[in-house]
Parts: sequence; C-alpha cells; structure tokens
Amino acid sequence: MYYRIIRNDILKSKVISLTTMIFVAASAMLVSLAAILVVNLSGALDTLMTQAKTPHFMQMHSGEIDTARLTAFAEQNSNIDEFQVVEFLNIDGARIIMGDNSLANSVQDNGLSVQSEKFDYLLDLDGNVINVSDGEIYVPISYMKDNTAKIGDTAVISGKEFTVEGFLRDSTMNSSLSASKRFLVSDNDYAEIKNLGNIEYLIEFRLKDMSALGAFETAYTSAGLEMNGPTVTYSLFRLMNAISDGMMIGVILLVSLLVVAIAFMCIRFTLLAKIEDDYREIGVMKAIGLRISDIKKIYLAKYAAIAATGSILGFALSFVFKGVLLKNIRLYMGGSENSSFAVAVGVIGILLVFFAITAYVNAILKRFRKISAAEAIRFGTSQDKNRSDKRFTLSGNRLFNANIFLGIKDVLSRKRLYATMLAVLVFSTFIMIVPQNLYNTISSKSFISYMGIGNYDLRIQLPGNIDNISGKVAEIVKTVKNDQAISKVAVLTTKTFKAKMEDGSEENIKIELGDHSIFPIKYSKGRAPAADDEIALSTIYADEMSKKVGDVITLEIEGLEKDLTVSGIYSDITNGGKTAKAIITDNSAGIMWSIVSAELSDKSLVDAKVTEYADHFDYAKISDIDEFVSQTFGSTISSVEIASNVAVAVALVITILVTLLFMKMLVAKDRYSIAVMKAFGFTNSDIKAQYVSRTVFVLIVGIVLGTFLANTLGEMLAGLVISSFGASTFNFAVNPLSAYLFSPLMMICVVLIATMIGTSGAGQIKVSENIKE
Amino acid sequence: MKKLIIGDHIVKSFGEGDEQRIVLNEVSVEINEGEFVAVMGPSGSGKSTLMFALSGMDRVDEGKVVFDSGELSSASENELSDIRRTKMGFVFQQPTMLKNLNILDNIILPSMRDNRKNVEKILEKARALMKRVGIAELERRDITQVSGGQLQRAGICRSLMNSPKIIFGDEPTGALNSKSAEMIMDIFSEINADGTAVMLVTHDAKVAARTKRIMFMRDGKIVSELNLPKFEGTDLDGRVERVMVNMREIGI
Repeated sequence: MYYRIIRNDILKSKVISLTTMIFVAASAMLVSLAAILVVNLSGALDTLMTQAKTPHFMQMHSGEIDTARLTAFAEQNSNIDEFQVVEFLNIDGARIIMGDNSLANSVQDNGLSVQSEKFDYLLDLDGNVINVSDGEIYVPISYMKDNTAKIGDTAVISGKEFTVEGFLRDSTMNSSLSASKRFLVSDNDYAEIKNLGNIEYLIEFRLKDMSALGAFETAYTSAGLEMNGPTVTYSLFRLMNAISDGMMIGVILLVSLLVVAIAFMCIRFTLLAKIEDDYREIGVMKAIGLRISDIKKIYLAKYAAIAATGSILGFALSFVFKGVLLKNIRLYMGGSENSSFAVAVGVIGILLVFFAITAYVNAILKRFRKISAAEAIRFGTSQDKNRSDKRFTLSGNRLFNANIFLGIKDVLSRKRLYATMLAVLVFSTFIMIVPQNLYNTISSKSFISYMGIGNYDLRIQLPGNIDNISGKVAEIVKTVKNDQAISKVAVLTTKTFKAKMEDGSEENIKIELGDHSIFPIKYSKGRAPAADDEIALSTIYADEMSKKVGDVITLEIEGLEKDLTVSGIYSDITNGGKTAKAIITDNSAGIMWSIVSAELSDKSLVDAKVTEYADHFDYAKISDIDEFVSQTFGSTISSVEIASNVAVAVALVITILVTLLFMKMLVAKDRYSIAVMKAFGFTNSDIKAQYVSRTVFVLIVGIVLGTFLANTLGEMLAGLVISSFGASTFNFAVNPLSAYLFSPLMMICVVLIATMIGTSGAGQIKVSENIKE
Repeated sequence: MKKLIIGDHIVKSFGEGDEQRIVLNEVSVEINEGEFVAVMGPSGSGKSTLMFALSGMDRVDEGKVVFDSGELSSASENELSDIRRTKMGFVFQQPTMLKNLNILDNIILPSMRDNRKNVEKILEKARALMKRVGIAELERRDITQVSGGQLQRAGICRSLMNSPKIIFGDEPTGALNSKSAEMIMDIFSEINADGTAVMLVTHDAKVAARTKRIMFMRDGKIVSELNLPKFEGTDLDGRVERVMVNMREIGI
C-alpha cells in the first residue's frame, strides 16, 4: 500500500519531489565527499610522514654551525633517537632554469640537497626513497603541478646542467606554506656546486618519546645551540601538509551544511502545504480511529523514499567527483591505505543525512496531534487565523496598485510560509556576497596593509646568507637614491633577537629594523616605534606573549638586556604572522634578510624598473608590490576567486530551484483564491503580477538582510579566518558595483524568470473546477 | 426588450472517449436586459454548467454565446476577464472571499484593479451598498468573524460594485437558513427592480418563485419554461405551488 501511495504522490508532484531529491542528493554527496577526503587525507599524510621519517624537531639555521657541540648535545639528551644535520644550498631563483622556465620570480627559497642518511627522506611518487645518480635532479612536486618542469627537461642550476629525472615528495617542505623547496642531486654534483650558493642547515632530531617534545624544545633553547632561523615541529609539519586540502574539506562541509539546511526548508515547506491540503483527510483518518503514528507513516514513507533515493544518488555522485578532489592529495602525499575505510565513513555520512531528514520530517509531523478531527471535517482547513497587520488594508492603500497590494498583503498574512523562502534567499545573497567581498579584499591593493608592509611600489629583497650583505644593501640604496624615477626609499633589515618571556624562558623573535616612518603601516593599536626603546609587535606575537601597548619586553641586544616598550600592534600575515618592528641599532646579530623598498614618482615605470634592477643586482630578489602580493598569496587569491565564482553560480541555482519550487507549491495551494479572482475578472497577467510582487517583496527583504549579514556576520567570519593568519581588524574592501548592483540584479533576474515559469500553471486553473460548491 | 445574452445551441461535455459525458446538449437560451430569471433542475442536470458557459467562465464545445452584442466564444481570456469584471457580477453558494482581506477590502477588490485613482468614490459606493444590505458596521471585520448570511450579503455588494448588467447567482441561498435566504432574495428583487438582470441557479422552489421566468433543465436540456408575473411581495405560496406543479408535470 505504501508503495502505491508514495508512487502516486510523487508522480502528482514531480517537480517538487525532484527538487527536494536534488537537494538531498547534493547534501549527501558533499557529506560523503568530505568524509572520504578526511579519511584519505589523514591516511595519506600518515603514510607519507612514516615513509619519509619526518623529523620531530627541526631547527633551520643560517650562519656558522658547531657540529661537534650539536653532536655532544644529541648524545647527552636521552630522549633523542636520531640526529642529523642536513645541508640546504640556497640558490637564487634566477639561477635555476628548468626547460624554458626560470624560477626568477619565485618567492620560494629554492635550494639543493642530497638524500638524507638517517631520516627525513625525499621520496619519489611511489613513496620510495630516491637514489639519485650523477647528472640527475629531482624537482619538488609543486613545480610539476604548476607545469614549471617535466620529466626529461634539462635543468640548468648556476650553470651546471642536470636532467630532470623525476619529482619528489618532501614531507617537511611540500606545502606551499613552507617557504623553502628542496631539489635533490647526487653527492658528487652537490660537492661540485656547493660554493655557488649559500648554505643553510637543517638541524633535525627524531625523538624516542614524542610527547616530551616540549621539554626537548626547552632543552635545545636553553643549551644555547644554533637557532638563527625558524623552528618547526612534527605537528606543525603535519598541519602545513594538511592545511590546503583541510581547508577545502572545511569548505565542502560548510557548503554541505548549507545545502542540508535548504533541503530541510524545502521539506518543511512542501510538507506543511501538503498537510494543509490534506487537512480534511487527516481529520477523517483520525475520526475513523487511525493512530497518529499510522497517519504519520504515510507521509514519512514518501520522504523516506525521497531521502533514500537522494542519498544513494549523492553517494554515487561522490564517487564520480572524489577522483578530482583526491588528485591533489594523491599528488602531494601519495595513496592512502585506508580507502575502503573511507568508503565506510562515506556511507556513515550519507546515513547521517538520511536519518537527519527522516527525523526532521517526523518532527514536523508532530503537528498532527494538534489537528482536531471535528474541526478538520467541518471546515476542511485549519482555523488558525491569518495574522496580518490590520491597518494594511486595500481601502487604506494609496501607494500600490491592487495586484502589488495583494502580493505584499499575502506575504504579510502568511509570514511563516514565506519565512522559509526568505531564509533561502538570505542564504543565497550571503553566499553570493561574502566570497566575492573576500576575493575583492585580498586581491585589492589595500590588502598589503594586512601584510605589515607600507604602501610602496618596488621591493628589493636580499637574503641574509649572501656575502657582505651590508655592503650590497648600501650599494643598492646608493643606486636607487640616485635614480630620478624613485621618490622615496627605505631600508628595513630583519634580525633575530632573544626575548625574555614571562616564564623566564627565551624565545627568538624576528625584528625588522629601520625607519618605519617612510612607508608607514596601519596600526590596529598604538603607533610605530619612534625611539630606540620602543617596539611594535604583530598581532600574533602580541597575543602569544600576551603584550599590550605600553607593556615592556626584555630583549638581549649585543649581549646586554634591554627593556623595550610596546608602542603599537599591527596586522601581519607574512612570515607566519610573527614579526616585530623597532629602530634599535645593533651590529652583532646576523641579518636574516634586508629589504629595500622604493616608491616611484611615475607608477607606469614599475615593470621597467623591476627588469632594470634585476639585471643590475642579480643577488637580490626584485619584485613590484602587486607581484609580491600575488606570489605570496597568489594561489590563495586564485582559489578564493574560483570559490567566489562557484558560490555565485551555486547561489543562483539554489535561488532558481527554490523559487520555482515555492511558486509551484503556492499556485497549487492557492488554486481556490486564484479561481475566485479569475471569476471576478482578474486576468492571468494580474495573477502573475501578484506572484511577482510576492517574490520581489520577499527578495528585496532577502537581499537587504543577506547583504547586511554578509557585511556583519560574513565580515566577522572572514575576519576570523584571516586573523588566524595574523590580521587583527579586518574590513571588507567592497566592490559596490558587483556586490550591490550586479549581484542583486542577477538574483532579481533569476527570481523573476523562476516566478514566471513557476506560476505558468496559474493560467490553466479553471474557475468552474475550483469554485464549485 | 434588448437581448443581453443569447446562447445558441450550446454543447458542453466533460471527459473523453467512453467516459465522455454531455452536460449541455444543444441548449439555446435568451436573457433580456433587466430580466429576472431562474434555472431549476436536479443535480447533474447542467444548470451550473449553463451559468458558467453563459458567463464565459467555461468555453463551450459547440454553438455560440453572445453577451451584450459580443461573441464570448471567440473572445480572448483577457477580454473575458474584462467582461466579467465590468459587466457581470457573481454570487456563489459558498462565500468566495479572500481569507487575508477584511470584508470591505473583499468588496472593493474587483473595482480597485482598474480605478485606483477613484478610491474615495469606490469606498463611498461600497459603504452605500453595505448600508443598503445591512452590513455597514462590518467593514473592518475578517471574513471569519461574520455569519454566513452576512458574508453572502457582502458577496452581493462585491458583485454590484462595477454596476454590472447582470448578476449570476449559483445557489446563492443554498448555505443559508430560511430567514437569511429570504433577506437575500429581497435584495436580489431590489437589485432587479433597479434594472439589473439577475440569473439564479437553484433547486429551491421558494427562490425560483420570486423570479419572473423559470427554465427547467433535465439531462442537459431545457425541458420547460414557466413565466410568472412580477412578484409584489404577496402570494409567494401560490407562486411556489405553480413551480411545484410544473416540476411534477415534467417529472423532476
């Protein structure tokens, strides 16, 4: 019997059932995809990090190294399982040419290494430790992905020729978040070109007991060992490897929640309308003694059927798409051993969707209890009064024509019904505008204010490990200052200092020294350091050290302790968000890097100047500021752009489907009043005009609310994401034309089209069939 | 007397193939301007269908319908809507009112579509009509807050708003008690006295007896007609008796 009821019911409302099923399928697909991706990601990550034997603790260091002292430390510390120092030969990007491509514009620190002896292996794409022969080179996987290199290419590095033999996975530096990239060459080749670059050291440890990592870090720091460079631990490696795919999974989960919410709203709307239609039948069933649970089953069965079909369809679809989404994980991390487990988790995911929907339908059907059998049979409709503003009457209305009035009045009288549609439109507006604004913000020039740098045009960066860096900086400054085209120049040098923490421990902090008033940045609190006893901190540093403006930090400068007052706090999403600015003079500490920044009087000359200086100072990395931004965040910006385009498309599709569905439902529900109005001489276009006023009215409220939410809640959410990278106060840079004109216009267009299509059935309603006694 | 409606050999059927049922079988009918007529007949005889056909709410399969010198069968949907709105009034058995409008708004609704600029005049007319049928104090009420008889009187007010040439009533007293029904019939008589034609579909002999001409229908055909003198408020029983006799004669 249920089968027949379900079949007839679904056939009678094809469009509505189909739309609901599409939403269920989409949400099931997304949930299943997210589940499959999570399991594969964590599995692949484990496999990669186990095969490569990723170090538990790695200290990068540039400058002198005392290997004997390090070895002694390693032998003394009982927790150390293995220890090694790996050399990383930093080569300027301009000196690396693969095929026709040079890495001159790369913001990565590219360098050569040999295969590690004990752990931190560089692996080939099958997960094996690579054995490299003379004349061969293995290239980081990211250069395969962006098509910079392919197997068989000739690679020329500082004049020496290699053949690209393959690509490598580097469990410590795979991620685009990691600033360095290792190329693998043979011991002989490495020895040959060792003196053509600057050596950095990777001091690596594997511990017997990973849980004692904190104690080990303290021990390392207090032993006063080499630490001129960043420190990275196992968990951070894991995080960096996972983050880009992890974020994708997060987005998929968010979108799936949204789609589930929309599916819920559709179900609620259709079900409420159906209950109202069947009011008398439900009353009769109650009257003849059917239990509420029996009546519920009839309705539940239909939605269970739709939910089951949708879930299975979604699960199948997730298999179609999973290949595409897993590609990146497979490329960077290799296969995962638990792919069958992933399918099981995917099944659990769709079961969750299925049960959530049936539970929800069951909850809506609770209102059967409130239906009075007597009332239902006598009146055939719910006698709940329409609550509407009594003052909003046709007789008092001078503003709208009758059709517009009727449209608006209907919305006001049936607020609960339209609330569902409104919610969907608010959602759609929200997901249309937020990614758009986010993209606009991070791609706009003003975004550099979140990067802790001033507003200049040209950036000349010198790595700290080149010979006579101070001399070279001076040379650059001299040239640039004499250049007529340059109007302003500033030099900022970043050095590492030891800072005393509250708990008495010491931590290395990176401080940018120089005149910070030439290219001022925005401070979220306080101001730039003005005297040599002042320091400005990035948001993340300030939070980490729990310092506010006016607090004091003790630094060790030239061997003496010195107190500096925090003068300001600023946003910085570069260098992991951990930077500081001061104007102290110091001649002891090693320079990590120097930056000469310049402003041009004629902005159109930027490209020419970049080329000119790049020829002139081949040891420095020269970029115009837009290029710097796009190289640092290029992949992020382009993924946000894709995401924002996808969001617009998704929002429009959702809007069309939901409007269509609602209009079809409404016309079916309002047959009687449509017939009444037709009987009294309202034309089909009058009726359409009424429906259009309803949707446009709801749409306008939806767009206003959605835009408001996008600029408050959306900005806050985006701000939360950005702040995790180190920005403090975040504001959308809005493109008003696209956000406030084109997006609403597109919404209005699709809603109008959907309303027209959805209400076309109103023309077929015959007065005589619907008004009969 | 000028002819307002001419129905010429109207055929209307529902269903297809074996299930086809002819509801109007070559019916010809004429209604003059200002006439007061009733259509009687048992359930399924086709009386309501005739009313829907003559008012242009349903299209006929064969034959033609002429209203006020214009042919309805060839008119477009919009033209039909315009004619219904401006030249016809309707009163149904169940009060066909929009739930979310109050009584006054329901009454003025058809007029507001065209004459928004003359709201004051429309309101004036609506209030006058409401006063005339005795529901002046109900204008702000919701339609769920008044009795069936009051609602039906409001329906009549609505049908009169655009000063139609004819009012169609499909069992207008069918859902009312006898006292309310009588009051409604008094109103129809008054309307007719003012010169508006009235066509009532009913199976209540008491209602039909108030009119001047009664058409009796059976199996999709008009089988008999009865002409009565103008009802002056007396001798209703005698008129009802004549109707009953006629019904017995033709076997309905």
